[in-house]
Amino acid sequence: MTHHPKERPGYLSRRDFLARAAGATVAVSGAGSLLAACSSSTTVAQETSTTGELLGPGGLPLARPDKRVTLPLWEDPIASGLEPETGGTFTVFNYPDYFYKKLLKEFGEKYGVDVQYTAFDNISSGIKRLASGAVQPDVMEMTPDNLDLAVAGKLIKPLNLDYIPNLQKNVWPELVDPFYDGGSHYTVPYTCYATGIAWRTDHVTEDIAAMPQPWDIFWQAKAYKGKTALLSEPRETIAMALLRKGHTDINTEDPALINQAVADLKELYDICNIKVGDVQYQAVPEGTSWLNQAWSGDMIAGYIYYLPKGTPATALAYWKADKGKVPIQNDCFSICSTTKKPVLSHLFLNYLLDNGVAYSNFVNFNGYQPPINEVDPESLVKDGVVPENLENSVLTKDDFGPDSLQEMTLTATGQQLWEDGYSDFLAGGGS
Amino acid sequence: MYPRWLWRGLALPGIAWLIVLFVVPFYAVLGVAFGTVDPILLQPVPIWNPLEWNVGWLQEVLNRLAPGGIWFDVGTRTIVYVALSLALCLLIGYPVAYYTARHAGRWKGLILILIILPLWISYMMRMLAWVNLLQADGYINRFLLFTHVLSQPRDWLGGSSSTVIFALVYGYIPYLILPLFASLDRIDRSHLEAARDLGASPFSAFRTVTLPLSKTGILGGAVLITLPMFGDYYTPNIVSMSPKTSMIGNQIDLYFHGGPQPTIGAALTVVLAVFLTILMLYYIWSIHRAQRDVGTVGAL
Repeated sequence: MTHHPKERPGYLSRRDFLARAAGATVAVSGAGSLLAACSSSTTVAQETSTTGELLGPGGLPLARPDKRVTLPLWEDPIASGLEPETGGTFTVFNYPDYFYKKLLKEFGEKYGVDVQYTAFDNISSGIKRLASGAVQPDVMEMTPDNLDLAVAGKLIKPLNLDYIPNLQKNVWPELVDPFYDGGSHYTVPYTCYATGIAWRTDHVTEDIAAMPQPWDIFWQAKAYKGKTALLSEPRETIAMALLRKGHTDINTEDPALINQAVADLKELYDICNIKVGDVQYQAVPEGTSWLNQAWSGDMIAGYIYYLPKGTPATALAYWKADKGKVPIQNDCFSICSTTKKPVLSHLFLNYLLDNGVAYSNFVNFNGYQPPINEVDPESLVKDGVVPENLENSVLTKDDFGPDSLQEMTLTATGQQLWEDGYSDFLAGGGS
Repeated sequence: MYPRWLWRGLALPGIAWLIVLFVVPFYAVLGVAFGTVDPILLQPVPIWNPLEWNVGWLQEVLNRLAPGGIWFDVGTRTIVYVALSLALCLLIGYPVAYYTARHAGRWKGLILILIILPLWISYMMRMLAWVNLLQADGYINRFLLFTHVLSQPRDWLGGSSSTVIFALVYGYIPYLILPLFASLDRIDRSHLEAARDLGASPFSAFRTVTLPLSKTGILGGAVLITLPMFGDYYTPNIVSMSPKTSMIGNQIDLYFHGGPQPTIGAALTVVLAVFLTILMLYYIWSIHRAQRDVGTVGAL
């Protein structure tokens, strides 16, 4: 499974630990109902269709940037022209601290509902809780690589785009009708980010961006022993090793390629005593990590929230590869099948794509960029949101398209292969 | 006279607690470890009937833990870390418990409070505090530089085994000291006086009387700290973050954290539980034997 920047699976910060401890308690106490719910699923896993096409765990075709998938509608969307429901609560199911509370409050006031924010630890556990009936949210954060699971499990509802005009009006054309959800049957985009390298220019002497293969820096980081880290995430970590060797199929299920990538990663133990974690957004600005695999949004959030006073913005640098070689991702929002307010849920999806709302959510709270036309690198630099030297942390619509790289759903066997490969790397070799 | 059932009845809340919060969850873990995975949501589908259990995941885990398997090193590392941490805990904790039980006098209560005090703060917060203390410009390095123990700051958080072991010692040592203290405090001083009257030196009296009589406390404390240490994954995560210092708990965390093979995580949990049960059985056997020996001495 692809993890998400908000998951932070390897390292536990104070906030993460508290959330995870609570999550663990819930997981134990709710295990019975969850497991019972899961055991009710009856579809048999098929990894190839009759035409030999690879299928995901949900039995649906695997979407790729150059292979568009239109997901089947398991029910009709709601009719157009209905009045929004009012009164009671409206529940948003999302990562912790991943939506500006002030904006949620404003939405609630506008439609006369009490907006409740329920957090999940990671998207996978969120889907588990949704499937078990432990939560009954109206809308939830979704990732493209989990979309087919949610659709196959009938956990999210088809959309009526008549209620969501902001999708056409404000969103990058590449994500209005995305390859993973042709016709936007189930999702609208929320944020986007790329995976690259963040470093401290006051400690790292190499001009990483000018290197023939910048990913090689991790294999040349002897001088930065103990200060070098990779994302603690199976897909990102192994994909980086694949890209370093020129393999751009970051959804490969070839065991030989995965094993070689893991072997390459294990070389880093002795070269730089590599660390794994997802605190780069804090560690690099604070200087506890000098060289870090990082998501593009990390440097923006790190600059805004964590760069110590007196440290110039030029101490931070970020590199991401050119299109076709850089892994990019985007998050989405969907309407849950459990909603009792389907019209209002549609209006919420439209609300989050409003130019002002999306911009405010990004620069005042979230730090993760929305894929809307009004947000572009030049204006962000001009407005002082992003320093000039981090302009390349901002994505543009040109980063998306059929020749882009995106970590997407794998077959069940493929997911096991990647997870076991990461397990081998995480085990740390000899004592 | 109270009816006999009353005393047995008093055990009922404890038994109910154990059943609800230990037996049932553990059986659920067994069900998952010997179960299958839902093909759509990739979630575990437990098998509750032991006659239908699928042992494939368990075999896979055992293969990985065997020499040459991908988890052999992390399994070995975990045992080494726990053993060294236990040894250090005993080395530090025994004198503290001994002093508190024997020589603290009226300060005994205060010392006990000071030992217990860190437990008022969550384990995680204490570990995070250590991260600050161990920073390059943290108080530990400042002190060591000031006292000229170090000539330049040590990178404690650079991913070293020693930092993980010290953190484990710091985190768990109070749980060792308390049962040790209770055990030492209960030793009848007349036994020691008898040993001294019969010509034993202080060290000989300690070796032949105090140490054997505190064995139950040592074992009890050891069990109390080694069980959670074996499953610990957050200590190496916080103070090291290096795969070279990861423990078996990190693998359980990985497989339970939303991946497609939670059954592997459950099977690894079962293997770890069996290993710990063996240690536990040794503890029970030792306690039984120690009590029998004390009984024999008492009869003489």
